[in-house]
Amino acid sequence: MKLEDQRTTVYKVDPEHPESATLPTLRTEELLLNMGPQHPSTHGVLKVVLELEGERLVKSTPVMGFLHRGVEKLAEDGTYHQFIPHTDRLDYVCAMYNNFAYCRAVEKLMNVTVPERAEYLRTIVAEVQRIIGHQFWLGTQALDIGAMTVFFYTFRDREILLDWFDELCGARLTTSWYRIGGVERDFTPSLLSKLRAFLDYFPPKIDEYVVFLEKNRIWLARTKGVAVISAEDAVNFGLSGPTLRGSGVDYDLRKYEAYGAYPKCEFSVPVGKNGDTYDRYWIRVQEMYESVKIIRQCLEQMPAEGSIMADVPSVTLPPKERVFTNLDSMIQQFKLFSQGFDAPPGEIYCGTEAHKGELGFYIVSTGGGKPYRLKIRAPSFIHMGAFDFMSRGYMIADAVTIFGTYDIVMGECDR
Amino acid sequence: MSVGALTKKILQAMLFHEIWDAMKVTFKHMFHRPITFQYPREQRTIPDTHRGALALLRYDDGRERCVGCDLCEAACPSRCIKVVSAEDPSLPLQRYASEFYIDITKCVFCGYCVEACPVNALAMTKLYEFSTHDKRTLLFDKTRLYQIGERYIEDGKKYLIAHHQEKDDQMSREYRYYFPQSVLKATQAPPKHLS
Amino acid sequence: MALKPATNPDVEAAAIELTIDGRPVTAKDGVSLYDVVSGTGKIVPAMCYHYTFDPFGSCGMCLVMVEGKKAPVRSCTAKATAGMVVRTEGDDLFQARKKAVEKHLSVHPLDCPVCDADGHCELQDMAFLHQVTNLANAKQKLIPEDTRSLVLDFNMNRCIACGECINVCKDVLMIDALQFVKKGGFTQVVAKGDQPLSCEFCGDCLAVCPVGAITNKFSKYLYKPWQLQKTTTTCNYCGDGCQMYVETKDREVVRVTAPLSWKNKWGDRSETAKGHGGICVRGRFGFEYIDSQARLKQPLLRRDGQLTETPWLEAAGQVVDRLAAIKAKHGPQSIAGLITARCTNEELYLFQKVMRVAIGTNHLDSSARYGHLSFVHAVRRALGVGRMTNDWEDITKAKAILLVGSNITETNPLTSVRVKEAIRVYKAQVIVVDSANTNIAGLASHPLMVRPGTEGLLVQGLIKSVLQQDLVDEEATGRHPKAFGALKKAAAAVSLNQVAAQTGVSVEQINEAASIFAEALRSIVICGEGVVRGAHGYRDVLNLVDLAWVTGKLGKPGCGINTVTEEVNEQGAVDMGVAPEFLPGQARFDDEAARARFAKAWGGESPASLPAAQGGARLIEILAKCRSGEIKALYLIGENPLATLPASMNVKAALEQVELLICQDPFLTETGRLAHVVLPACTYAEKEGTFTNLEGRVLRVRQAMDPIGESLPDWHILTAIASGLGYQMDYESAQDIQNEIMKLLPGYYNLGQPRKLAPKPDAYLADGYATEVKSRYASLGTRQSSMKANRFSLLMGQLLSHSGKLSTHAPGLIKISSNAGRLHVSQADMDRLGLGEGARVRVTSARGSLVLGVQMDRTVMPGCCFFPEHFNEPPVKDLMPVEVDAVTGVPSFKLTQVTIEKV
Repeated sequence: MKLEDQRTTVYKVDPEHPESATLPTLRTEELLLNMGPQHPSTHGVLKVVLELEGERLVKSTPVMGFLHRGVEKLAEDGTYHQFIPHTDRLDYVCAMYNNFAYCRAVEKLMNVTVPERAEYLRTIVAEVQRIIGHQFWLGTQALDIGAMTVFFYTFRDREILLDWFDELCGARLTTSWYRIGGVERDFTPSLLSKLRAFLDYFPPKIDEYVVFLEKNRIWLARTKGVAVISAEDAVNFGLSGPTLRGSGVDYDLRKYEAYGAYPKCEFSVPVGKNGDTYDRYWIRVQEMYESVKIIRQCLEQMPAEGSIMADVPSVTLPPKERVFTNLDSMIQQFKLFSQGFDAPPGEIYCGTEAHKGELGFYIVSTGGGKPYRLKIRAPSFIHMGAFDFMSRGYMIADAVTIFGTYDIVMGECDR
Repeated sequence: MSVGALTKKILQAMLFHEIWDAMKVTFKHMFHRPITFQYPREQRTIPDTHRGALALLRYDDGRERCVGCDLCEAACPSRCIKVVSAEDPSLPLQRYASEFYIDITKCVFCGYCVEACPVNALAMTKLYEFSTHDKRTLLFDKTRLYQIGERYIEDGKKYLIAHHQEKDDQMSREYRYYFPQSVLKATQAPPKHLS
Repeated sequence: MALKPATNPDVEAAAIELTIDGRPVTAKDGVSLYDVVSGTGKIVPAMCYHYTFDPFGSCGMCLVMVEGKKAPVRSCTAKATAGMVVRTEGDDLFQARKKAVEKHLSVHPLDCPVCDADGHCELQDMAFLHQVTNLANAKQKLIPEDTRSLVLDFNMNRCIACGECINVCKDVLMIDALQFVKKGGFTQVVAKGDQPLSCEFCGDCLAVCPVGAITNKFSKYLYKPWQLQKTTTTCNYCGDGCQMYVETKDREVVRVTAPLSWKNKWGDRSETAKGHGGICVRGRFGFEYIDSQARLKQPLLRRDGQLTETPWLEAAGQVVDRLAAIKAKHGPQSIAGLITARCTNEELYLFQKVMRVAIGTNHLDSSARYGHLSFVHAVRRALGVGRMTNDWEDITKAKAILLVGSNITETNPLTSVRVKEAIRVYKAQVIVVDSANTNIAGLASHPLMVRPGTEGLLVQGLIKSVLQQDLVDEEATGRHPKAFGALKKAAAAVSLNQVAAQTGVSVEQINEAASIFAEALRSIVICGEGVVRGAHGYRDVLNLVDLAWVTGKLGKPGCGINTVTEEVNEQGAVDMGVAPEFLPGQARFDDEAARARFAKAWGGESPASLPAAQGGARLIEILAKCRSGEIKALYLIGENPLATLPASMNVKAALEQVELLICQDPFLTETGRLAHVVLPACTYAEKEGTFTNLEGRVLRVRQAMDPIGESLPDWHILTAIASGLGYQMDYESAQDIQNEIMKLLPGYYNLGQPRKLAPKPDAYLADGYATEVKSRYASLGTRQSSMKANRFSLLMGQLLSHSGKLSTHAPGLIKISSNAGRLHVSQADMDRLGLGEGARVRVTSARGSLVLGVQMDRTVMPGCCFFPEHFNEPPVKDLMPVEVDAVTGVPSFKLTQVTIEKV
């Protein structure tokens, strides 16, 4: 037999037919398949080594670090203030959340209380960012699974919010709008009216997205019962956010830690039952409705006037116009920018409920203007830990669905 | 489940009812104006706050605002600014930036340098189209930054106001760093707002 | 308001008890309350305080609450008294201190953007710490900036009138160049008399200024403190070996600072003996040569009579090939080497190892031969020790200091601060024996101005006076009656009247000085270049040892014989064995046991693998052998004999005679221009290593920047050449060499802590003394004193702002003190000869004559004239004769008799 034929023909060995023994025997070993690091659905540069038995996943090993930039190390080199733009680049889809989580952590370290109006502004923008995050997830997850249309619709609406960010802080993605002790810039009337208009415009659009997916049998077939994880396992793996709540665990830091203006708003935390991809999809859609609700309440309750920065001279920057004319403010400006503020020695952990899950910052300070060590608890990274567990036994085509279900962004995962 | 409901469900499944629902939405959009715009023929409207290319500004009388205090260099999180300061040879006892570099390939456009600047000599403009074939041209030097500043002076001023760096246009004329005179000979008249 | 120091070695203050923040504290009576508080580890802010001088009390920051007083008191000027109850913390104090800061801020200009102190400013720190906000618009003083001084700019708008600069100048350095003046409604610091500042330019006022009121002209506006990379290293100018910080930005040195600053103001006043941490004008402003344009960047090779830039590979190849060829043809004894004592210990060690083992010659010497070896040989002979016997702390705490032939303020400024501290704090009596009215003579209690060259004579006079006045220590002399008898016999030849006549010092003065020295509890001798570089340096040091011996000062705590060195590592050069008579560790080169030990360590089988025990040529002999053609190749590292030695040495002829002249230097020197190969070497700022300062303290040198151009550290070049010559060396860093030295000389790296040496005079006194002593006192009375009207003693010596020839490459120091090309003459002589400032005169010595201008110098004594040794334009050095000491081989060429005629 020719060599080419050996490769393409499958032989079955039948012990009852001794003549088959003369034929070559069949190799039955597991197939190793490298998925990524260049793969459009890995949301960055993730490589997964899949062990396949036929089309079934036997084991999957995520290989991470392709997008590692040493962000945690960079933090040790600069002042606390200087690290904010670096956090933009963690989860580059939702920079505001990273800013928020980091600033909250430093404020906890420095024991800074944020003024009320700033708290409302922060909450509103965080919820806007949550909408953007879920829109992004919905569009790309549907696209990964094969439904192209939703992607266009979600990205169209996301664009409105990104432009709104541009007007708010000057950048669409790398926002750096949050500051330690407050926010950089207040809402203008134009921003407010644009946001109000969006709130009226948006809920019907969510209904539209849902029309495309909710009853679509392909969508249902690809999501229901895929990537199931029980509540117990989810907790044990340290999952958080919609990934955890999809398994029926009612855990949301916005409720339990009650930071920002959340305690003053009424909203519900949607919780799933089955712990599959569909439930997580459902939760994210519901959260978009809830976010709209929260933003509406905040806009109503927000004090019309008020400071947007805490007034702690040893931590927060002085008003710029005073810098030109008053020595005390100029000194403050120079000290804070050249040396940073003097953090008390100690360590803190502060978690914030981002749209992906709990985004935590752990800061060790030995005094002085720079952190001694800064550790980021990135939800994407923690979720990747459960990937092998959640993907076993599924088809190879489901692999894309499964890491999509975490809403993974490698920028945050590899840091 | 009633027979009617069951029949309806079967019919819906057979006729791919959910596809029709979705198609309805899609077809409705055929009558909407397209939301895409044809860049570069059409340009986005950039808000005043936009953090685009950095520029160095001059006072209205043409003097450089920058005094070379190096605070932007200290504030920069990506360490992309380099200021070389020196004594101004034409104006004794005055500090100025003899060289000023911003490595745009490293810049993260966070705007901290503008926030740090104690004389508001730096501003960000709406300029974002500076892609090039030659990476070396992306090291903006002092001349280039002042060129951008002259060309986009209005953007810069609007940026400063939008980001609370300046109250109004009038205020920007007032800041003038005052350098002491030499004991040897008068080098400049004291500024009005100080006398 | 002077408060006495916390402790005094003689008077112990009474201990008192007081309570600070609820805790009982024991303190010395009469001490500043601030010192007591800071002694407990609490830091109370203070802007005008520095532990090196007495409290001034102008800033109003160091407020504390004392029970029984209604208002807060300034702790610095308050004295600690028994039973005091003090509170240093609390909101009321915070507010009171805040008010004090606000007072300073309210008249401070908005200068942070352009101020060099920004980021290193105590006013900023205090304002930030006390969270000052809501300050009204600043008032501007609009004081013009004083830029008249050569090195410092005074911007009095920024001054907070803390007085630290004035106090450090007056109290610590005893220069007193600054003062307060009320001008334009503001108190300002100005140079004395509102003139352009003219002082020693040590820059300590700049260092202690807590704001940016005093700025360094050489680095003005070039930096912000946060941009600078700070490297702690050791200054390479004089033998003091001061610790300093070389601050670099990118690849250039921006400024040099020292531990003395307002930042380290909380010290123990009783411990100022360990040094106040300042540096002098050379260290602070003489850094610009490091990245000078004149630095050699590539090796130079002579091709067709021209030095041309050549790649390293070729230049090093040439060196190795030609050295190997000369060695093969003429034997290793035809190669010699000289190295400067500005190299690190590691390089000095490596140099002698390469010369002795890789090449096999003992013709090697270092610049310690120019004087320091006189001292080393003398104290080795008499006391069995190899360096000075005391450390700086002993100098500070001395009660009597005999300073012979040393312009210590100019040659070793930081050792002179120790002497000043002794005068100021411990009320020491200082006897200065010198031929110039130097700064230290002005401060001394007993300045004895002698005629040039008669310092040694005066020492003999002192001994005679001790014997005559019966100030002899019976215990010390009683142990060696034979030696004492010999001394008495020898000294009989000395007549005090004759000494007085020849030196110009009266008998009464000699007697008084002798009794002060003999009767003081702790007496210290410091001899400087006037002795060790004199024609009888070896003899005079031995005589000083006699003086210490008969007065019982040998071996007593706090007493001893000391010297000062011009180049930083002269002591290291001797210790590393860079002299034909020494192996490393000052082991004698002809000592068989030591030879065996080092031969084994260096890979040889027997001592025979080292060069022959006798016959090693010293500096002057090397030059003679070059002239005679015995030496064919000369390897110079940082040495520049052509510019150093007078023309009478015929150095040029010697250098032109050799077949191969290798010059390894950071700059192209006069000698380098004659060389066949010039190798670019690094300066101390570009390499790692250690220096041994005059105390014997081993100090680290750290790399502050990358080498300029293609220059390489000397050890690197030496390693390559040795390997090329077939002696494989595997050193990868200076640390590897250091490890080897550590094995061979255990205990040498006493980093930071010199061991005090106990003198062991017994061996010498018991044996050999009696025969030698006679000759030491025999030369008395033979000296001719010629007192013609136009006969002058021409002296050459150092200036404060310069050190050797190296500092002339630093533009900053040249700016401070350039070569005017003028002869320094006293006012009296100028009047006598009818000379005006700048008048031209003809100076004639036995060696030649030249015409140059004159300038008045108040330190020069009548009958003397002075020219700085750093400059060769005009070549005054060529007027000098050279006398070589037979025992030590030290050439003496700093003094001659000349006639001066007006032209």
